[in-house]
Amino acid sequence: MGVVSRSVGNAFRNKVRSGAVVVILAVAIGLALAMLVANQAVGAKVDSLKSSVGNTITVNPAGSRGGLGGGNPLTAQQLEQAQAVAHVTSATGVLTVRLGNTDTTGSSAAGTGTGGAEGGAAQPGRGGPGFGTSGTTSLVSAVAPGSIGQRNNSNGSTGTAPNASAPPSFSIPIQATGVATSATAAGSAINITGGAGLNDFAAASTQALVGSTLAEKNSLKVGSTFTVQDRTMTVKGLFDAGDAFENNGIYLPLAATQSLMDQAGQLSSFSVQVDSIDNVTTTQTALTTALGADKVDVTAGSTNLESAISSLGTVQNISLIAFIASLGTAGLIVLLIMIMVVRERRREIGVLKAIGASNRTIGVQFVLEAMVLVVLGTVVGAVVATFASSPIANALVSGNTSSGTTAAGPAGGPGGLGGGGGFSRTRGAFAGAEQLIGTISTSIGWQTLVLGGIGVLAIAAIGALIPALLTAKVRPIEVLRGE
Amino acid sequence: MLTVKDVVKSFNTGDNTIKPVNGVSFSVEQGTFAAILGKSGSGKSTLLSLLGALDKATSGDVVVDDVNISRLPDRKLTAYRRDDIGFVFQAYNLIPNLSAQENVMLPMEFAGVPHATRSARAAELLNQVGLTEEMHARKANRLSGGMQQRVAIARALANSPKLILADEPTGNLDEETGELIIELLRRLAHEKKTTILVVTHDRALAAQTDRRFRLARGRLTED
Ligand SMILES: Nc1ncnc2c1ncn2[C@@H]1O[C@H](COP(=O)(O)OP(=O)(O)OP(=O)(O)O)[C@@H](O)[C@H]1O
Ligand SMILES: [Mg+2]
Repeated sequence: MGVVSRSVGNAFRNKVRSGAVVVILAVAIGLALAMLVANQAVGAKVDSLKSSVGNTITVNPAGSRGGLGGGNPLTAQQLEQAQAVAHVTSATGVLTVRLGNTDTTGSSAAGTGTGGAEGGAAQPGRGGPGFGTSGTTSLVSAVAPGSIGQRNNSNGSTGTAPNASAPPSFSIPIQATGVATSATAAGSAINITGGAGLNDFAAASTQALVGSTLAEKNSLKVGSTFTVQDRTMTVKGLFDAGDAFENNGIYLPLAATQSLMDQAGQLSSFSVQVDSIDNVTTTQTALTTALGADKVDVTAGSTNLESAISSLGTVQNISLIAFIASLGTAGLIVLLIMIMVVRERRREIGVLKAIGASNRTIGVQFVLEAMVLVVLGTVVGAVVATFASSPIANALVSGNTSSGTTAAGPAGGPGGLGGGGGFSRTRGAFAGAEQLIGTISTSIGWQTLVLGGIGVLAIAAIGALIPALLTAKVRPIEVLRGE
Repeated sequence: MLTVKDVVKSFNTGDNTIKPVNGVSFSVEQGTFAAILGKSGSGKSTLLSLLGALDKATSGDVVVDDVNISRLPDRKLTAYRRDDIGFVFQAYNLIPNLSAQENVMLPMEFAGVPHATRSARAAELLNQVGLTEEMHARKANRLSGGMQQRVAIARALANSPKLILADEPTGNLDEETGELIIELLRRLAHEKKTTILVVTHDRALAAQTDRRFRLARGRLTED
């Protein structure tokens, strides 16, 4: 019979009470661990949201999105102004134009194609004539007009205006994006699936990147040639943007695009990277001020993202507080139960001291006894946490995000019009923050383990310190006194 | 050799101070079997607790083999209680959830005796106080009062102390068992040179001792 078995035996001297303590402790520790896991999971989600599109701002000419609206194109000088704004880490300009097929293009309207890279909800019937193209190409569009295309191609001011031209006589224009770096208009890297990225950005460059479906339609491979206006371009690489609209486009060097289209110094949009998502709103305002509200429209895709992140931030705070509170509760339970145990066994402690036990021996015995309870509580608590973490994390998140109205874009994805592109950024505005957050997946990372370990150790420390201090104070003479 | 000089112990109970031990002085040679008699509440247990270093005297000295235990630091007192003193409490004070044998093993565990040795010695001591083998593994709180008393005596003998302080060691025993215990204590005193102080109302026990003291009104006198 050593001190260890005596401690374990003592831990279960009062089985009902010890059982109750273990259960309460398990709930508190389990809740603490679940909150920690939720906290870490939400933190990871915030990081991934922030790193995805969180700190990008798009600058468009005032009153214009893609091929719709009006206004004057942006200039290289404005790009420099944008780059000078505080918190801007980089600003890149692109020139997006629509190219009609050499064979089928009859008229060329004046609309300068522009806009973001991704397709978005088409806005049928809005704006001027449908397919304005500003240049020609030998490429044949991989996208069939369909009824959206028919409607967009109509000349009337409403989508229902009678269309004189026969359907087969037109095809969907191809979007050419002039880029100064190997990045999309949205600022992300182009997903090259074959060949290489652009590296000759001179005005006389003949390099081009071709979307996968467009390349297939036109039987293009890396090294194949096609024409844009009067220049023969060589396919430097193929890319896959992940959607049919994007993949029906090409990327050209910016300077080459400007010279081919006679739009020297003109840009259709900027993609501005902000140093941190926390500065997006202020930078958005600063950009508008710097460039003039009458000249540019500055949109941040992060209004939802911000609300998503701020609601997630709330969840993060709640879970952190709950973690600390649960841990504190567990500590308090251990504290109180040990005070109780020492008090009711004062006389016995007196006996042990009277027959020669040192403070240390008795301290160790009671510390071990507390550890038995803490360890059991932790083990059961960990099991509780395993099953509770995921539901708790998701319940916390859904309870704390305003469920915005979720507007679905038209099925079929991007409209057949390059102009639709500009709307992809704002489409997010219709979707709730909730949709953006999705579900929170919980997993146990090393941080969780370390923090959870520290938390449990803190409880264990209370379980060690309290009995050690309290038993040391008991004098051997207490043996002669009853309770 | 145990020498007590002018020991006073006072308690504050509310407004008045009581002195159950008030200027006690006496001296006994090593190996003496002595009895302390006195009325209930006369301060016998209080005096014993001072000799056993369970409590500190308000004033005066308790000198055991030239060591004044009234002046020892707590750490040394723990060792003194463990190695030099065997205390039999009036209320036995066994650890209720441990078996008889485990209770007897406790002081030896604190003294660092290996498990096998202390287990064997505990069994031997229990046999000496007349507790049969089948009782050794029984939980202390399942033993009768007399059995508990004998386990308490066995526990006091565990570390072969040079001073045994026994508070009413035969109070709950029948005549025959009482005789056994008295004989055991007497042998210890005379053969092992253990000083034994017993507090008792038992005339049979008092008659067997070498010296008899009487405690009354805080003073100790020899009969
Ligand atoms: N801690 C204490 N505080 C106050 N008074 C105490 C304390 N301990 C003992 N006393 C008092 O001291 C007196 C002597 O008590 P003690 O237990 O020594 O008597 P006793 O001679 O052993 O009696 P008994 O034969 O009944 O065991 C009693 O009046 C008791 O109330
Ligand atoms: Mg007494």
